[in-house]
Amino acid sequence: MNELAVLDVVLEDELRRDDSLVFLATSTPPEWRREFGEARIRTCAISEQAMVGAAVGAAMTGLRPVVDLNRASFSFLVMDQLVNHAARLHYLTDGGYRAPMVVTSATRGRQQLGPQNEQCPYGVFMQIPGIRVAVPGTAEDACALLRSAVRESGPVMLFIAPELARGANLRAALTAPPVPFGEAMLRHRGDAATVVAIGGAVRPAVEGVAALAAQGIDCDLIDPRTLVPLDVEALASSLRRTGRLVLVDDGPRSGAPAQILSALYDVPGLPEALGGRVAFVCAPDSPVPSTPALEQYTWPEPQAVAAAVRRLAEPRP
Amino acid sequence: MTVNRNPFPNGAEIGRNGFDLFSAYSCMALIREYEERVMELRTAGEVVGPVHPYIGQEAIAVGVCAALRAGDSIVSHYRGHGHALARGVSMDALTAELLGRKSGLCGGRAAALVSDPAVNLLLSSGIIGAGIPIAAGAAMTSQVRGSGDVAVVFLGDGGLGSGVVHETLLMATAQRLPLILVCEHNSYQGGTRSEEVYPDLDLTRIPLGHRMRTVSVDGNDVTAVHEAAAEAVAAARSGAGPTFVEARTYLTRFHLQFDKPSTERRPAAELAHWLDRDPLQLAHRRLLAAGTADEDLAAVARAAAERVAAAVAFARSAPWPAPSDVSTNVWAEKP
Ligand SMILES: Cc1ncc(C[n+]2csc(CCOP(=O)(O)OP(=O)(O)O)c2C)c(N)n1
Ligand SMILES: [Mg+2]
Repeated sequence: MNELAVLDVVLEDELRRDDSLVFLATSTPPEWRREFGEARIRTCAISEQAMVGAAVGAAMTGLRPVVDLNRASFSFLVMDQLVNHAARLHYLTDGGYRAPMVVTSATRGRQQLGPQNEQCPYGVFMQIPGIRVAVPGTAEDACALLRSAVRESGPVMLFIAPELARGANLRAALTAPPVPFGEAMLRHRGDAATVVAIGGAVRPAVEGVAALAAQGIDCDLIDPRTLVPLDVEALASSLRRTGRLVLVDDGPRSGAPAQILSALYDVPGLPEALGGRVAFVCAPDSPVPSTPALEQYTWPEPQAVAAAVRRLAEPRP
Repeated sequence: MTVNRNPFPNGAEIGRNGFDLFSAYSCMALIREYEERVMELRTAGEVVGPVHPYIGQEAIAVGVCAALRAGDSIVSHYRGHGHALARGVSMDALTAELLGRKSGLCGGRAAALVSDPAVNLLLSSGIIGAGIPIAAGAAMTSQVRGSGDVAVVFLGDGGLGSGVVHETLLMATAQRLPLILVCEHNSYQGGTRSEEVYPDLDLTRIPLGHRMRTVSVDGNDVTAVHEAAAEAVAAARSGAGPTFVEARTYLTRFHLQFDKPSTERRPAAELAHWLDRDPLQLAHRRLLAAGTADEDLAAVARAAAERVAAAVAFARSAPWPAPSDVSTNVWAEKP
């Protein structure tokens, strides 16, 4: 998981703690192969579908596989095993089988990998009941969620934004205890609006919210940390107070932001509390271009977050 | 013997006038020079995205593309500059693309993952294995239209891990598709050595298991590659179906670089063995032995450097895309 190296240290720790954990990837650290043996540390051919399928079977029979897919775009190669199998088995067997496994991958970064390999597909997985989806907004939470993911009772997708590595507090990350799935984190407090930011978009949202705070406008900034389960109650109670929602994501509006909004609209009274005061600061509904000349316009920027809050705060005609 | 000719008559175009060793050498030298320059430009922060240098494998792109005609299609991948140049894309437009410019082959969107409809370069996929069925589809078009054209797809040895490659091998054989798979077997898949993940390194047994005609060739010998490719192409055109060409080779630099050249280390003896079998040197030695003058070969190097410098100059002065280009061409207009 070289995009966020500290995760490897956490996983190493977990491999030591739980000998039912096995690791599958197309490249694996030689030190792990030496310490844990090649039975548990499996270097695989570029066979993502077989890797994830084998993880399902291993999970059903008592292991806890962690598969590193490398890029999140590769999750599209393994949809059958993930969706039709991993996510379905517990239901299909009426609880007879579980598939505790973790699939990690990197979402968009500033690496100019282009339209194929710069993607945030977590919104797609929010449509798949049976898969838990974690999208941490800090390196610390990434480590904490990895620790909880390897203790979960079913399949987990853990999506890591490469930008989390920037300025990460490594000591805090390494010592972060597991956090329960479904518990959002309030990163700033205020009544002007509720800003919900996902994964790599947490940092620009923090910056945008800080800029507003410097001008006396304070918002709730909530990082859901896991999208499935989603801490709907934390979001709803904030929104009942602020009545304004700004959704911030590195991916397109039609992905996770739309899913979160629809979950909130299902909460009695919330559509009325929002009264149409909803804004999106997301990637455009287009693939991510390679050239920085275009790619720079596809990120949720702090100024756009601040502008969205101001726009919602204006009294309406 | 002194041959007075411009080795790059049409800029980067290669292999359109049949095969001769001098032209092949010239084209390999051009690709080598190009790759060296692109790595420098990446280190300088001018080239966009990752760079997967083709250095050490030039004979394969050149030998294969010289066997093709205009109507044929090719499919490449992330290590594709050599394939694109050998197929005859404009070096200026390729370089502008790598620098993220509007006048690049794909308007700056693709960086190294280029396409060029002008030469039937369908795509250079960043997803291992994915291009193989797409090439089979181009072969299908040829079959339906009766055009006699073939489709060539380049893949690494790592590509044989991908399930869809096996599916396509079987389908192409059963349907006698005019498809040629060129497997550039360099024994590495990123940092992983292929013997760590495959039962053995004789990859030819895999397509043979799928009942596909299979040949193995020295991928550093451009003449040998060309002959193998020409036979496969002739078979495909005549309706005899697909061929899998395994070309044994080696990446003498590294797998990939971002901001800085990779620090990847290879076993010294292995590297030395392959450097001694460098495809350019092999061709160079052979040309000298056949009586080509030293100064003609030196002139090739100079001409390559000039051609690449001109492409870089073109790309540097090429315009950037406009902000509104972010969302253009997501959807195809009605024809
Ligand atoms: C489906 C998929 N999985 C993983 C990767 C990441 N990846 C990029 S290059 C590479 C190694 C490829 O090796 P090979 O096919 O032998 O080609 P070579 O790099 O040696 O030319 C890997 C694993 C990818 N691009 N696509
Ligand atoms: Mg290889």
